[in-house]
Formats: sequence, C-alpha cells, structure tokens
Amino acid sequence: MRRVRTGGLAAAAVASLLAVSACGGGEAAEASSDTEVRLWLNGTDTPQELRDYLKETFEADHEGMTLVIEEQDWSGLVPRLQTALSSEDQTPDLVEIGNTQSPTFTYAGAFTELTDVYEDLGGDDLLPGFVDAGTADGTLYAVPYYSGARAVFYRKDLFQQAGVAVPTTLEEFRTAAIALQQANPSPDFSGFWFPGQDWYNGVAWVFSNGGDLAVQEGDRWVGALSSPESQEALAEVQDLFTNATRAPRDADSNEPWVAFNNGQAAMFSAPTWARSSIALPECDKGVDPDDTSPEAEALLAEQQACNEEITGVFPLPGEQPGSSAPVFAGGSNIAIPTMSQRQEEARDLLRIIFSEEYQTMLAENGLIPGNSQYADALGDDVYAQAALAAARNAKLTPAAEQWADVEGARILEDFFQQVASGADVAQAAAEADRLMEETLN
Amino acid sequence: MSAAVPPTAAVPTAVSPARPARRPRRRIRPRTRAARWLLGALAVVVALVWAFPIYWMVSSAFLPTARLRTPEPTFFPFDGTLANFRQVLTDGSFYASFRVSLAVTGLTLVFAVLFAFVAALAISRFRFRGRKAFIVTVLVVQMIPAEGLFISQYAVLDDWGLVNSVLGLTIVYVAAILPFTIWMLRGFVNGVPIELEEAAMVDGLSRTRAFFRITFPLLAPGLVASGVYGFLQAWNEYTLALVVMTDPGERTLPLWLQGLVEANRATDWGVVMAGATLIAVPVIAFFLLVQKRMSAGLVAGAVKG
Amino acid sequence: MAAPPLPPETAAPPRDPLVAEPVPARPVPPRRRLPWRSRLGPYALLVPALVPVAVGLGYPLARQFVLSFQEYGLAQQFGRPAEWVGLRNYTDLLSDPYVWGVIGRSIAFCLVNAGLTMAIGVTLAVLMTRVGRGARITLQVGLLLAWGTPVLATLTVWQWLFDSQYGVVNWLLSDPLGAEGFRGHSWIIEPASFYLVATVIVVWMSVPFVVFTTYAALLQVPAECVEAAQLDGASAWQRFRHLSLPLIKPVLLIAGLLQVIWDLRVFTQIHVLQKAGAPTRETHLLGTYVYSLSREFSLAGAMATVMLVITLCLTGFYIRRMLREEDL
Repeated sequence: MRRVRTGGLAAAAVASLLAVSACGGGEAAEASSDTEVRLWLNGTDTPQELRDYLKETFEADHEGMTLVIEEQDWSGLVPRLQTALSSEDQTPDLVEIGNTQSPTFTYAGAFTELTDVYEDLGGDDLLPGFVDAGTADGTLYAVPYYSGARAVFYRKDLFQQAGVAVPTTLEEFRTAAIALQQANPSPDFSGFWFPGQDWYNGVAWVFSNGGDLAVQEGDRWVGALSSPESQEALAEVQDLFTNATRAPRDADSNEPWVAFNNGQAAMFSAPTWARSSIALPECDKGVDPDDTSPEAEALLAEQQACNEEITGVFPLPGEQPGSSAPVFAGGSNIAIPTMSQRQEEARDLLRIIFSEEYQTMLAENGLIPGNSQYADALGDDVYAQAALAAARNAKLTPAAEQWADVEGARILEDFFQQVASGADVAQAAAEADRLMEETLN
Repeated sequence: MSAAVPPTAAVPTAVSPARPARRPRRRIRPRTRAARWLLGALAVVVALVWAFPIYWMVSSAFLPTARLRTPEPTFFPFDGTLANFRQVLTDGSFYASFRVSLAVTGLTLVFAVLFAFVAALAISRFRFRGRKAFIVTVLVVQMIPAEGLFISQYAVLDDWGLVNSVLGLTIVYVAAILPFTIWMLRGFVNGVPIELEEAAMVDGLSRTRAFFRITFPLLAPGLVASGVYGFLQAWNEYTLALVVMTDPGERTLPLWLQGLVEANRATDWGVVMAGATLIAVPVIAFFLLVQKRMSAGLVAGAVKG
Repeated sequence: MAAPPLPPETAAPPRDPLVAEPVPARPVPPRRRLPWRSRLGPYALLVPALVPVAVGLGYPLARQFVLSFQEYGLAQQFGRPAEWVGLRNYTDLLSDPYVWGVIGRSIAFCLVNAGLTMAIGVTLAVLMTRVGRGARITLQVGLLLAWGTPVLATLTVWQWLFDSQYGVVNWLLSDPLGAEGFRGHSWIIEPASFYLVATVIVVWMSVPFVVFTTYAALLQVPAECVEAAQLDGASAWQRFRHLSLPLIKPVLLIAGLLQVIWDLRVFTQIHVLQKAGAPTRETHLLGTYVYSLSREFSLAGAMATVMLVITLCLTGFYIRRMLREEDL
C-alpha cells in the first residue's frame, strides 16, 4: 500500500532526525558540569598559542578542572550577553567584552566587583581609559584585556612624487593630504581615505584639540561637540573631507585598504593589523592561492616584502611636533559575570591572564597588553613603534552607562556624515549634542 | 467570494485518487508564434536580471578577495580559483553546522507541519467553543513584531535547560512557524468536502481509514507547501539561533556564515560567498524537488482561505 | 501520497453528484450529540499546536506586553526590581514627533512596497502562463534563487552593487552608458534615493513568493471558460480582468495581506543599508527603530504593541471579512 509506505518513510525520517539531533545536541544540556570553567573570547584576536597557554596553566593549577574557551563573534555578542549573562546555567565564568560595550553591562550589575584584585592584576599600570570603562560609580568591575591602536599607512612613492614628507604635526598632516590629492587629479583619488561616517578617525582631531564627545557635569552627561575646542577641530575635519578625500560620504571605516590597494588613495588610517590586508597590484606575483609549493611561498614572501617596501606607516601626529594624536582606541575588557558559580576559579584565571608571561605573549602578538608595563614586548619594527606611540596616547569613548545606546543609534556616524556633506558644523554639532544628551541621561 | 467561484476551482478536483492525473493543456494561445517568442525572451531576460545578484555572489566565490572591489568590475571569473570553496569544504565546522542546521530544520519541519495539520483539522472539521477565538489568535499573533522577543524566549528555554540544544531551538522555530502554517492548512482541509469521507464510510470504511484513504492524499500539496515555507524559515533564521546556540559546536549554518565573516580580522569575502553558495544549494535542491507540487499547494489552500 | 494537482478540466463537467454540488466551504456541524470523548476530540487535536505556541510565542508575547508598562532594561535583567510606570512608555513614544515621522514613513514604505511587489508578482505570474516551458522554468529558477539564498550574502552583494566607488551599478551607468554623473554617485545618502534602493531589494526578495502563489492560482482558472471567452471575442485584458482576476482574488488578498505584515516590520534590509553608510536617523523605519531601542526592553515592547495596532488598522478590512465568513 502506498499510504503505508509513505507513513513508514515519514516515521523513518523522524527517527533519523532525532538521532541526528541527539548526537548534535546531547551533551550540551550537561555543559555546565562541576569541573568546568568557561571563558568567552571574541573573534580571532587571541591567537591559539595563547589559548593553549591559558588552558595548560589553569588546568595545572586546578587539579581535575577543565578550562573551556568558547569563541564568540563580535557582531552577535551583545544579544548573547544580554541573555546568557542572566542565566546561572549558561553564563560563562569569565568574559571578554568590547570596551564601548563595557559600561552598559558594568552599570547594569552584570559583573562582579574586582576592586580587591586590582593591585594583583597590575594596579595603576593597567590602561587607564579601559579601567574607566570598567568602572561604575567608583567601583571596578572590568579590567583591560588588550588594546589595538590605529596608525596611518601611506604610499612612499606617492609621497615622493608629490614632494610630501611624513608629517610631524596634525596641521602638516592636513596640508600633506591636500597636496597629495592635488598631485593626483584622477576623479576617484583620495589624498587621505576618509569616508563620511568614519568617526573613529575623525574623533582624533577632536581629542587632540582638547575637545571631547561628551563630558560628565555632576550626574549629567553633556554633549561636547559644540565646545570651542571641538568646533575648531571639526572645521579642520571638514576641510579634510572637502579637500583631501574623494572617499564616498556614504561609507564607513570598514575595509579602508580597498581604495589604497586599488591605487586610489595615498593614505588610510586603520588598526595596525591592517598591514596584512595590503595587496598592491604592482606587487602581485600572481600566486595561485591553492599553491603551497616552496616556490609559491617564496613568491608570496617577496610579494609581502614588496608591499611593505612601498607602504610606510606612522602614528597620527599630534598638535606639537614629535607628539602623537590621542587616537580612538579599540580593544576589550574582561570581567567575571555575577551569575557565575565559579568566582574563585575565575579570579585565578584572571591572575594568569595578568601574569607577566601572558601579558608578554599578548604584546608579542601585536596586541597592546592590558598592563602597559609589558608593552615593550611589542618589538621595535615600525609597526610596533607606531602602535606603541599611538597606544600611549589613546583615548576611549565616554565611560557613560548609556554610551552603547549612542553607538546603537549611530549618532556619531550621522554627525560626521553631515560634516562631510558640508553641513554647518555648529548647527550639526548642536543637534548631535542634543541627541547624545537625550540618550545618555 | 465563493459565489463567483465555480465548483471546479473551489474543490481540489481529485475525487478519487485513482483518477489519472493529466498535465494541464496550455490554455492561452498567443496569436502568433512571434508574440510567444517575444514573451519567452522577455521571461528569460527577467530571469537573468532577477538572478544577477546571485550570479554576482557565485562569481565572487571564485575570486580572491582583493579582486572583489576594483575600479573595473570582474564580470566573468574565467581566471578564478577554487581555493575559496576548498577552504570551506576542508573546514570541519561547516559539516558540523550543516548537521545542526539539518537537524533543526528537519525537526521543525516535521513537527510544525504535523501539529499545524492536526490543529487545522480541528478547526475546520469540528465545531467547538473557542474555535473562533483560536482562529483570530492565530491570525493576530503573526502581526506582532518579534524583534525584542528573544529575551523572554531565552528565559523560558533556560528554565527548562534547553539552551544550546537542538530541541530548544526547534521549539521556538515551531512556535514561530505554526500560526502561518495552521492558517494555510486550514484552507486545504476546508477545501476537501466532508461528503467524500462520508461516502467512503458508507462503503464500509472506518472514519479514520476513510480520512487517510480519501482526504489525506488531497492535502499532500498543502503539506508540501507549508513544508517549503517552514524549511526556508528554519534554514535561514539568525537571531534566535544566535542567542540559543552559544556553544561554538552547536552553530547553525547562518551563525557559521557570520563566523566566517569574522574568521579573519579583515573579512575574506571570497570565502564567505563560497560558503553562502554552498548553504543555498540544499535550499534550491529542495525547491526544485517540490516546486511543482508546492505551487499547486499554495493555491488550493489560499483559495479556500 | 502522489496526488498531483489535477488540472481543472478533468473535473469540469460535473457528472458525479458528489462533486457536482457546489460544496460548502464550511465544515458540516455534527448531526447528533457526540459522546463526551468525541466532544473533547477537537481540543485534543489543538494541544500539540497550542503547547509550543504558548511556550515559544504566547508567554513571551504576553511578557513583552506586560513589560511595556514597566521600566525594564538591562539592569532589571540582572535583578534590579522593575518599576511599574503605567502608560509612560507609550506616552514617551507617541509624544515624540520623530516617532510619528517614523510611523508615517513606515506605512508609506509598506504600502508602496507591498503594492509594487503585488503588481510585479502578478504580472510575472501572468507572463509565466503565456510562455513556453523552457522560458517558464528559467524564470522560476531565477526567482527561486532570489528567495532561497542566505540573506547575509545577498545583502552584501547588493551593497557591493550599489557601492559608490566600486559598485557595478555606477560602473554600468558611467562607463558603457556614458552617464558620467553617476561616477562615484552616492545612492544611499539621500533618504529618497535610500528608499529607492531599499525598495529594489525588498521587492526583489518578496516577488518570488507572490509569483509562485499567483501562478498556481492562475493554473486553476478553468481552460474552458477562457476558451469560451476567447470565442466570444474578449480581449486578453478583458479575459484577465473579468475572468481570471475574480477567481484568483482570494489568493491575491492573502498574499497582499502577508506583504503588508512583512513590509511594515521590514528590518534586515534597512539595517544593512544603514550600516553600509546611510544617515541613520533620517532613514529609520519601525523595524530598525524598535531594534535601536532593544536595550530598553520595555520601550521596545510598547513599540511592538503600537505596531500591532497599525497592522490591525491596515488589514482590518480583511480580518472583518474573514470573521464574517466564520460566522456563517
């Protein structure tokens, strides 16, 4: 009978599906077993070697316990934290969190107080801006894990052709960018790749001019884009947008190397790891990505050397010659969730992370470690030096409870885009200040 | 509305499943051959335009990322590479996620269609107190935006220890798909006249047997149609999977694809496009397999809605 | 069971009395009093559907509604007691002129998109009935591809296509077509042009559903009637307008209703385009606006209720009609 056969098939399908799901999801229910400590790290910034070190060291110190490191994606982190951190069973015991997300969760009471271990972990050597981002009402809840710094990448050959030297002040930078653009009249060429929504870079001008995004006055946050210092800086930013870039106004700071790689930008500013994304056409040796022969690898090395030969890097200069601008720092904090049932073990793990060995390993991998004392291990090549100079002067977004909402509403993206579009800077700043105040208070 | 509808359109016409099916004849004959050619060409052009973004995705999957956004676009990846596909296919996490997705989608499909079918049977074959309220609820529930809902859904699953489990994700998916599916299947069940079953019962079949012999086969297109809808929803869902499946070993394919975006600090878009192409293949295959039935299914249900 | 959709003509001449009767779409009420077990039957059949819906949707929706009368944010999630604020979330939202702007834009966007989707969908469905098999299948596959591919990939591709500097759209317009003005043209920086791009993408994604539904509906229009009308000298348009359209109207109504529901809460496409570099505040629609409030769960809950009311207003005519038929 046909009907019977169909029924049998359906039953078989259900049975096999249940079997698949059983082997797919069976163990998960018992995941939070008694001997497990779970650490959430985000993205691929922490190299495998460091993860192995953490696991070995922790498990050697804690007989019979396992450290499980689960890699999370940055893009979905906030909804995950909103849910998992409120669950006793599901919460990780130690969690990495983006520095701009940190205040939101810190103020919400998601993390355990860390004041008692502050000195153990490095005390005043911890990156100060990140400590502020992890502090709520004077109590410390999250400590700096690492920071990544921005630096400016430039084409040496184009600098030479335009007769431009590496700038030593912010003012020189602006004139250099404009000169580079004038020397290359192609309609798509940017002296400095500066897309309209790129507030990460734009804010460096505001910071170095003594301005700010928002400041705390009493228990209120006040937008500071309208302050005279900020306004002066923003006028320079608008000049850059108008005369030194042909980057689209409707683009953000993502993948700034694309135009550079296409030969359509003389400079771009990005985290220092962007060096590995530089692929200039004139250096392309046409190696098949599938080819793993020694010859191919030699060619790839040659290609990389060629790229780095043509490309230079310098930290964005500050107001005074020889200084560097307070650039916007990206990076992350690390904290112990309140709901974790493994508070002691999590603290032990924190101590391992802030040990000299681990901090040095972070630095050796090009990350600025949470404890600035160990930053020298970054090395002494130009990239490391640029990173270090930038990091010493790096500045964070305001450590306000609701700051993440400002970013969620994309107020600064909109504002810088208006500046790029030639809007009246004072008027646009007043509106952005109003929106920030509405959100922050 | 039913007044204008001749019985032929209102009733799935298979009185007896034994009657051989014939392909419908082409009914509208354009006046000339040329006109049909012209319309055919138009259809092909529309198809090409519609599929262009997908073509662009597949073409990108054959290119190294550095060649994706250049002043001169690459329309044909003749000198392309298979490296992107190789990278995805040699990555164990693709298969692990594929398995999780398959399990969640399969279970969702089976349970959603089964439960919706039974419920549809109840509301169209029986009169009972609360029936109308149920129908209205099913309709209204679909209109409530669910963007902020994941917090509460997570809390429920967490209480029951169902976070990070295929079963937990299946429950929220089934819940999300059921309202639409019930609504659709109700139309199908309504469309099968109960007299057919009763006639079979007069012939000596039990009520259950009469139902399975006579009514059930007529509902097959409807079940397939609901299945396709459910398949797409469960296969491509992202937000709920994101909060429910936090364990990297339990990722569904959309989460895996997002992970691919972040696998390098600078996204390797060629690889992402290769991954997306591979995710789309089962969907398209499933579609092509049931496509003919599904189009009939959607209608029969809808006409009687 | 293999029960392929039977062509209309196989049943057209009503011979069998069973089928000849215009069968009422209503279920037949039970004729005699059933034993209690049978009276419980329908409820038993509803249980499997009710349980997951109640657990996975009903409770969360109810909780979302309750939260909309509280102050409930992230801190409450971690144990701070939630305070009852009555209607404050609603008055906060609805007293903000910006929110009314968003509501107005969303309704306009929804109606334009749903209308366009239906118009294009029906046109393509009619086209499908007029072409040969090869052309039809080509068109079907083209549409299927747009419907079934992961959104993350398709939206990234759309972003690339409309990219100001390296987008294919600008390249095509300026290079082969010579419209130099489009070199480096920013598509998403002006709200009007932003919504144009968003409409292209939304319509591209929703049309396939409408085409397949409508095409199937058109297949059920009895060939005999069409041929008869043709013999009577009715033009193609007249045949469609007076013969096919009334027959497929129920399908169109349902498909249209779903489009309205989906387009009013459109989120992903708008969100992705905003992140690609559009001015956010000027381009918010309800879906993205609610999302931007998602750290304030109570406010988002209130907004969800408001959206439900809007949807009910937009679709009220259809629901009333359906209820009237249920009453029969």
